[in-house]
Amino acid sequence: MKKLSLLLLLIMISSLLFGCAGRKAGELVVGMELAYPPFETKDENGEPVGVSVDFAKAFGEYIGRPVRIENINWDGLIPALETGKVDMVISSMTINESRLEKIDFSKPYAKALLALLVNVDSDVEKAEDLNREGKIVAVKTGSTGHIYAEKHLTNAEILSLPDEGACVTEVVQGKADAFIYDQLTIYRNHERNPDTTKAVYIPFQDVEYWGVGVKKGNTELLEKLNGFIDKFYEEGGFDKITEKYLKEEKEAFDRFNFEWFFTDVNK
Amino acid sequence: MALSFCMKRSAMDIRKLFVKKENEKAKPAQVIVNMVLALAAIYLFFMLSLKRLDMKLDFSLLWKFRIRYLQGYKTTVMLSIVSLILSLVIGFISAIGSRSNILPISYISRIYVQFIRGTPMIMQVYLFFYIVGTAWGISNRFLAGVLILSIFEGAYISEIFRGGIESIDGTQLEAAKAIGLEPGQTMRLVILPQIIKRTLPSLAGQFASIIKDSSLLSLISVIELTQTSREVSATNFAVFEVYMFLGLLYLTLTFPISMFTKYMEKRFSYENRT
Repeated sequence: MKKLSLLLLLIMISSLLFGCAGRKAGELVVGMELAYPPFETKDENGEPVGVSVDFAKAFGEYIGRPVRIENINWDGLIPALETGKVDMVISSMTINESRLEKIDFSKPYAKALLALLVNVDSDVEKAEDLNREGKIVAVKTGSTGHIYAEKHLTNAEILSLPDEGACVTEVVQGKADAFIYDQLTIYRNHERNPDTTKAVYIPFQDVEYWGVGVKKGNTELLEKLNGFIDKFYEEGGFDKITEKYLKEEKEAFDRFNFEWFFTDVNK
Repeated sequence: MALSFCMKRSAMDIRKLFVKKENEKAKPAQVIVNMVLALAAIYLFFMLSLKRLDMKLDFSLLWKFRIRYLQGYKTTVMLSIVSLILSLVIGFISAIGSRSNILPISYISRIYVQFIRGTPMIMQVYLFFYIVGTAWGISNRFLAGVLILSIFEGAYISEIFRGGIESIDGTQLEAAKAIGLEPGQTMRLVILPQIIKRTLPSLAGQFASIIKDSSLLSLISVIELTQTSREVSATNFAVFEVYMFLGLLYLTLTFPISMFTKYMEKRFSYENRT
């Protein structure tokens, strides 16, 4: 009997704890993986900063709700939306069909293209060169690079790794021929490893559009988001963000004649 | 009067179904009824959780990937078996080494055990694969995985062996000496049989740990069960289905081992008592 009452007490305490773990009233919880500078990252004190953070906060201001950023692993972002742990996901996430089966997306707010980081000794000159027996391609698990590789590089061996750093190391050490990721990341990692890597920027797929993810059926939030994205563009919000976080990269992109993340996205 | 007696009787009978007597084993009927009850309670709790979140699970999404799952399963089993053997060797050498009178050998063994047991495996995986492995030309991921896992588990097994060795009463060594056994003979005839007997249950338990720890090799893309699951969920986004199924698959491996461990523990504790 004593044990039973103890058990009951435990259940009560735990339900209390679970009850308290909820969010504050009115709070807008935004999920992102803070591992993709300068879009989603942390400052020296561990506070979330970056393009997506500023974007999320501006939206919070627009609808008059305080914003809380929740740092979640890439694999866990869509599940977090599905289970209602977060209201929306702003994590440089490309809108694609398989994701649309699980969640809804706002209209695009940015766009990007994939590129290759190639080992300096590899004979790979374009993406098609990777689709051969014996070629090894590093990708970040669940990224659009991963999806591209699974679809188009069926003859190559695909190494899916949980973080960007491991993918770059694979290429630097020559364990993999190439790493597929967006142009900006490839550019930066090539700058960091100029002796061991080459960068291939030739576009090999359609432009990827990034959208804000919301739980399926949350049309109310979606409409507000779409209205905000238009307004933010009109007011030059993304230009300010570029100036703040991506000045150098913008210059490099202009030099290479790459399309910029925030140029003519919805035109 | 008679009625209340009857009610009391039946209340006692019901109680008997759920409560076993002190110092007595549960009867088979009790085991079945109560096990079903316990499982149902857990299942219901889980279903309720899903319902509160309004989530629907669709496990049919996984069928498409059955060949990959089968390969992943095989890789996990192979990884674990090879690593078990190798970690037994490493653990044994390190246990003997740490007791050695030659100090460098003793210190290396002890530092090894301390370092491995005192640091998280994720850091060891990256360190050994990208630095040590690359420096020494180990490029095969399965082989690298086996080595990393064996080195990791070897430290734990070393401690199990050390405990076994230390549990042997010193008087036995004196007795062995007294009847004229050489040190080698003492090891082979007196110490080893006892160590094996005493450490076998813990070693069997360690095997279950090896199986679970092998999941961390997904970090370097050894395509075992966990990596297969991560890849599958990256393409179909059915994260919950994938991970629940993953848990089930690991249980098919670890559950028999845990039963076996229990059985061994019982057997040896009985033998030691006599």
